[in-house]
Amino acid sequence: MIRVAAVGDVHMDADVLGRYRPALQELAEHADVLLLAGDLTRHGTPEEAACVAAEFGGLAVPVVAVLGNHDYHSDQQDAVAATVAQAGIRVLEGEGVVLECAGGRLGVAGVKGFGGGFGSHTASNFGEPQMKSFVRTTEQAADRLAAALSGLECDLRVALTHYAPVPETLTGEPVQIYPFLGSYLLGAAIDASPTALAVHGHAHAGSEQGTTPGGVPVRNVAHPVIGRAYRVYQLSSGAPVGQ
Amino acid sequence: MTETDVAAAVQRLLAEAPEVADQAVEVRAEPGMVVLTGEVESEQRRAAIVALVRDGFPELVVTARIGVVCCDPPADPEVLS
Repeated sequence: MIRVAAVGDVHMDADVLGRYRPALQELAEHADVLLLAGDLTRHGTPEEAACVAAEFGGLAVPVVAVLGNHDYHSDQQDAVAATVAQAGIRVLEGEGVVLECAGGRLGVAGVKGFGGGFGSHTASNFGEPQMKSFVRTTEQAADRLAAALSGLECDLRVALTHYAPVPETLTGEPVQIYPFLGSYLLGAAIDASPTALAVHGHAHAGSEQGTTPGGVPVRNVAHPVIGRAYRVYQLSSGAPVGQ
Repeated sequence: MTETDVAAAVQRLLAEAPEVADQAVEVRAEPGMVVLTGEVESEQRRAAIVALVRDGFPELVVTARIGVVCCDPPADPEVLS
């Protein structure tokens, strides 16, 4: 059994320093790893990233993160990732990491992802350069996620994104903005490998629970959705859900 | 300006003003008023959002239904497999 804690959209800055720390101090009692599902900061500055490092660094369990759209806002995403990494937090973008847990080897593949939408309301790689670039960005992110997941040699795979891979976890958000909240391409990438859990953030007004078309449980861990410092999901080794 | 245009202007202001940078607070405009709904990470952020909209749209009554998200530890884990 492997216990995965997760939270997204913590939007750290100096005014939030210390809010999560009391709950994090007892994290090792509840979980083997903590996943941060993007939007670690408000404006994507190194100063805010230092707050992330102070709040989520030095914990008793490994911490794995992806960046979110807020972390790109100041065009300093590389500095944000580097600052967070200095605190021992592993930041993934189209890659994976395998963690040795008491219950087995946990593989985490992460990518920020991007938008595009779902079903018949999906953006197409057609028309203006800006629209084609938008869709290609998502296609490339999905391809990187699929490759990272399939390359993991582990007992259990978890997919970590900021954008949503399914529409169910967006329930509560205005349907008009679904194309800016996620893409079915991320769900297809997750379904391409046997995956036990997919975790994302970004949709503050969404719902916690969903499932990919292939049967992988999806959890929206945006902080306002879970309403706690983090959520914990208990996975059994040898029982990957998706295929 | 229609209520739809007011809602759009307030939504953009909340996202694009550096002191707020919030894309998650829901904005609903009605005749003479705007209602803000959502949750943020601190009381300071809630106050900054309300002040920003009041300063930007002094002709509107601003109603804020904005809470601060809880940071308590979770309850029991969810067993998935």
